[in-house]
Amino acid sequence: MPVPDLFFAMMKEEWRIHSTIFGSAGFALFPVVVAIFAFAGLLTLPLFSDTLPYTTMAILALLLFLLAGVMVGSFGTMGREFMNRRFGQASLIAYASRSLPVSERRIFATFLVKDTVYYILLYVLPFAAGFTAAAPFISLDPGLGLLAFISLALAFLMGLAAVCLLSTLYARSVRLLAGTVVILAIAGLSALRLGAAPVLPPYAFLLDPSPGPLALSLILILVPAAASVLLVTVDYPDRTKRFTNRFDPLAERLRSLGSAHFIAKDALDLLRSEGGAGKVVFSFLLPLGLVWVCLRILIRFIPGIDLLIVFAVLLGVLSATIYNWLTEFDSFSVYAVLPVEVSEVIDGKLKSYALLNLLPVTVLVLAAATSGGAGTFLPALAAFLSVSAYTLAVTVYLTGLYPNVMLYSAGVFLRYVLATSPVLLLLIFASILDPRYAFASLLLMLPAALLLARGRTRWRAWEMPGY
Amino acid sequence: MIEANDLTKEYGSVTAVNGVSFSVAEGELFGLLGPNGSGKTTTIRMLTGQVRPTSGSARVMGLDVAKDPVGVRRLVGIIPEQETPPSFLTAEEYLHFVAGIRNLDSVDERCDRWFDLLEFRDKRDVLCKDLSRGTRQKLMFAQAFLHEPRLALIDEPLINLDPIVQRTVKDFLQGYVRDGGTIFLSTHILDIAEEICDRVGVLHNGRLLYCGQTEELAGSGCSLEDSFLDLVRGDAGA
Repeated sequence: MPVPDLFFAMMKEEWRIHSTIFGSAGFALFPVVVAIFAFAGLLTLPLFSDTLPYTTMAILALLLFLLAGVMVGSFGTMGREFMNRRFGQASLIAYASRSLPVSERRIFATFLVKDTVYYILLYVLPFAAGFTAAAPFISLDPGLGLLAFISLALAFLMGLAAVCLLSTLYARSVRLLAGTVVILAIAGLSALRLGAAPVLPPYAFLLDPSPGPLALSLILILVPAAASVLLVTVDYPDRTKRFTNRFDPLAERLRSLGSAHFIAKDALDLLRSEGGAGKVVFSFLLPLGLVWVCLRILIRFIPGIDLLIVFAVLLGVLSATIYNWLTEFDSFSVYAVLPVEVSEVIDGKLKSYALLNLLPVTVLVLAAATSGGAGTFLPALAAFLSVSAYTLAVTVYLTGLYPNVMLYSAGVFLRYVLATSPVLLLLIFASILDPRYAFASLLLMLPAALLLARGRTRWRAWEMPGY
Repeated sequence: MIEANDLTKEYGSVTAVNGVSFSVAEGELFGLLGPNGSGKTTTIRMLTGQVRPTSGSARVMGLDVAKDPVGVRRLVGIIPEQETPPSFLTAEEYLHFVAGIRNLDSVDERCDRWFDLLEFRDKRDVLCKDLSRGTRQKLMFAQAFLHEPRLALIDEPLINLDPIVQRTVKDFLQGYVRDGGTIFLSTHILDIAEEICDRVGVLHNGRLLYCGQTEELAGSGCSLEDSFLDLVRGDAGA
């Protein structure tokens, strides 16, 4: 099968997977929503220009897109399970090497190109379009839009390519992964002494759009991407795995929590899916590390900002993605033949989520201990718990058991952003006035409880369209 | 056991099931026949509360399906067309999961019975995602009958099963009905219906073209296949 045919088939498949769920218009409007948010966000930049130079804002934007690349890459290439992706065995083209004369390597390479094109169209281009439209209103040259697009695309692809390589190495050997991470960290820290530009070539390109930084950026994208294609291994499901019954002892131990059978199933899903540890590293700890780096840069420019509290707020938002892990390998069709309500399944997921939140709490404790922020630990903890619960409640209300799919609907995404962003910004600004105001975030528990109650009822009445 | 009244299901502009009415009595083995896409699976999903009818109603074992779908699923056994056990539980763990949700006791004995009857004891510790489709179908049979329901609704019962297990399953279903159970199955394999069903319904383009005794449909000197094809082709030409 020629690569172009494979590519267009994958593009069509990706489009249809989403458009089947919430209609072609709903999905097609997603980039428009991104553009509108970018436009509106950029109009506010002059408000911060006294405290935050544009160059620093540019670094933050590039890091944000690098992070987006990391998250897209970790989502799509979760170690040996990259073929399963978020639709389990339904990604039929990804399995084409079983029935068609197409190699796994060719499929993976095409898959990577498809993800690149797809997500650049979905995120990067709309953001750059919003930037270009807003530029005249904030005294910037609209011509910078093209430069911003190229720089942001390079940053996004650097994240995507890096995580593809790391997850491919992880699929081969954890030691290989650990060794590579150590080497990359040493190289990165050494380069950091020279400033941000050598570590982040897209930033250097933005400052000086010359062939040098562009070539360096492309090398940092193409080399890891090519290496990941060469090193890719595919563990097809026909490798039989046998396990003794661990479900019963686990369910017995969890009995006092209620929903024991659902929690035990979630735990085994997470442990036995081969991205298990990879999920934690690539989808959670890695983005969290990037957030920490961004915040360390930011606090130099905004006086009064409390690093630990802002980190706790963002940790709360990121920890809500744990719910995505819990639903990634599950769908209600498993339960449709059993006497179970959707709300019972959601309850089980919420309890699993609460247990898994021990991980971000541990991260917060470590962050407080290492950053000297012990004094604001309690308000930070309150902010984390409240934001985590609230963001989760918004996710459950809007997406039910399908967050990995539904958040790509323009309408759903818009409501998600509108429901979370103002609250988070308000919380961060309040904590600048006095870190103790972060305790007020506990009020978010009320709308969280209300949204969860409504979500349980709402999703009971929902049917997967066309199934 | 089952009463369907004017059941209709529309998916957008497509009418999958169009005003279907029938009833199934206790102790019957009823077969819903029809070509691919005729509405058989949608009918079973409406009868088990998995999808809501656009109009019409159904009662299963005395319960209104629209009002108490979970109650219906508590009483009956269901085998869906596409076997969907959870990927990362083993076959044995899945049956224990089902038993836990259904609050069953003597779970090991119940599981052993099915491992032996359908001959897949050697696969009990294999993850469901690694099972063959045939073994997954056996597993779905086991989960549907684990709580010994009085009524089972089965979508394409013998799909993916080898001839030996097919014989075992047919014998089991006939024995189950002899012992007072009721089976509602859908299939497009007419030989199965002719061999084991007391009554059949023929569905085409979402409409019920026939509902009655299997022997009557087969008619004098005609096979069930001939009569079925006459009905469906006649409807398509109409």
